Amino acid sequence: MVNEATASEFSGMLEARGVTRRSFMKLCGTIAVAAGLSELAAPRVASALENSVIGATKGNLYPVIWIEGASCTGCTESFAQVETPDPAEVVLELLSLNYSETLSAAAGWSMEEAKEQTIESGNYVLVYEGAVLEGWGGQALRVADKPGTEHLIEAAKNAKTVVALGSCAVNGGWMGAHPNSSDALGVEQFLKKSGIEVPVVNIPGCPANPEWLVSVLVDVIMLDSKQLKLTSDNKPEGIFGQTIHDNCERRGHFENGEFVYKFGSEEEAKGYCLYPLGCRGPQTKSTCGITMWNNRRSWCVQAGSPCIGCCEANPNDPGDNWVEVNTPFYKRHRDLRIGDWMVQPGTIALTLTGLVAAALVVHGFGMKATGRMDGGADFETIRKWDKDHPENSIGTYDLTDEEKAQACKENSGNLTQKERLYDTIGVRPDMKKNDTEGGQE
Amino acid sequence: MAHLAHYREAHPLVFVITHWINLIAMIVLIVTGFCIHFPFWPYFESLARGMHVFFGFVIFLNCVFRIIAAFFVKTAPTGGTRKQVTDYKTWLPQKDNRHQGLIWIKYYLFLKKDHPLGAKLGVPQKISYLFIPVLIIVMFYTGMCLWVPTMNLPFFAAGTNLVGGLMSMRIIHYFMMYIFIIFMFIHVYLANIEGIAPTKLMFFWKEHGGLVYDPDTHTIVGEDDLGESEKH
Repeated sequence: MVNEATASEFSGMLEARGVTRRSFMKLCGTIAVAAGLSELAAPRVASALENSVIGATKGNLYPVIWIEGASCTGCTESFAQVETPDPAEVVLELLSLNYSETLSAAAGWSMEEAKEQTIESGNYVLVYEGAVLEGWGGQALRVADKPGTEHLIEAAKNAKTVVALGSCAVNGGWMGAHPNSSDALGVEQFLKKSGIEVPVVNIPGCPANPEWLVSVLVDVIMLDSKQLKLTSDNKPEGIFGQTIHDNCERRGHFENGEFVYKFGSEEEAKGYCLYPLGCRGPQTKSTCGITMWNNRRSWCVQAGSPCIGCCEANPNDPGDNWVEVNTPFYKRHRDLRIGDWMVQPGTIALTLTGLVAAALVVHGFGMKATGRMDGGADFETIRKWDKDHPENSIGTYDLTDEEKAQACKENSGNLTQKERLYDTIGVRPDMKKNDTEGGQE
Repeated sequence: MAHLAHYREAHPLVFVITHWINLIAMIVLIVTGFCIHFPFWPYFESLARGMHVFFGFVIFLNCVFRIIAAFFVKTAPTGGTRKQVTDYKTWLPQKDNRHQGLIWIKYYLFLKKDHPLGAKLGVPQKISYLFIPVLIIVMFYTGMCLWVPTMNLPFFAAGTNLVGGLMSMRIIHYFMMYIFIIFMFIHVYLANIEGIAPTKLMFFWKEHGGLVYDPDTHTIVGEDDLGESEKH
């Protein structure tokens, strides 16, 4: 029986890397919340990580292959900027990153071999960064004598899960923006088209937040992957289920009606809401304001920039890429494209409304000129159609004066007050019964 | 006196009320909608959002009620008569209007000198009015796609995906508001340019004498001055 506190093997490893138990547990809590669990699940996450790490010493790490498609490497950069020693880095160092064009020390043939071996043995996670380019037969991303598209198909086939990292990987991102000459699209859509059935987890963002990746990797690899609740477009619900606006630190100012209308203004100095400057927070779903960036130092809105909606990405529609959808960033609407002409929706709407208003004014002069403003023009005595087609006449025009008088009485009603009251509910006694009572008001 | 008599039977009180609700809701929705689009009255922003959602539900429910009521309430099928039919029949093609689509356009464009003999609603008028409930329902749907508490429901999220995301949905919602604005311009203009009697009837239920029309023989049969001549 153990009767004294002993440091676990794992604690020793953390300590050796300068990570305190407290900061490690904090990370576990964040990961649990990001994964849609309660913070109370932190010990479970910790134990999962711990077991995996201990496994690592026995060579049982989950391998990760990280392929770059049409990317600026910004997602890798963002990921690599995590300060050392940092809990996030600890976790990721302890994964076996078997292939990464940017981060691996090896290169060339030996790298490709390592990748092939990993693929063969299966049960790994594929992280794909950047867009898939279908244009030019995939030759734009040709590596190791194979088109980029082929590399993705090979690596995705045996993967346990594919993580599409960054908005470009989710639906083409920047690459998918007009005119999309390279036929860029997202990983999920491409794999579906290629008939490869593998679970894809989409993590948009430009770049994607490294902590989101950590959270997803922990979910996929170490926890029961059923814990990872996904939205209908396969984004982790805990991260992309709510809008930035919902959790924004400036939301109070929005509710108060305190806005920044101009950069450099007094309102800006007061940290008011950036909504009038085109902030895309209300329509962009992510937890940026909670996870924040650079070790939770700050994030776009805290730094004074309206959200530009970089997490907007519909995996099945490269046209719904965040660049196309959100530019110009400082306007409340995107521009619409008519040929080469970019125009704001408001301009179209106001022009059209103005034209209608002008047409009505002109028409009004016409009405005045034709004398129709006092009750309209006189009625035609006989319908145009009836005049031209007497055999199919709609109206009956040969009523005798008596018939007319009778019809006039029936139709004009001449009701009593009481009967009028019935009309309030739209129901009244049979007209003919009353038509002889007369009783005009 | 060129126009037909304006009787209350054309617009029973219940429809006078739904029309008032439509008017108020539309104006509130347009004004608050512009505020939400861009907060030019900053301190009104929160209230504007609350009112916008509330009146969105009001106009939608009013529209649903109006459609259902059309099958129960009786209204006059034409101007100048107190005879009534179940209201929905006045929204279907009517014999009084047959072959008149083009003729109405010609009348509006001054190519036809005399006023066509028709039903309560002229052909282009009826068609454009019929679009309004469709517009209100679609507008309500796009609004629900943008409203945070409902935007993630599969029924609304599917629509957002279909049109290419929330920004596209916002623009559709915005453009549709202008369809309402343009409709209102034309509607207000046409309803009043030949005299304000129709407006007095629609809003204040005030009758106005005029020619009497018989919807059975589809012709004008006399004149009713609402007893003015007897009084004097």
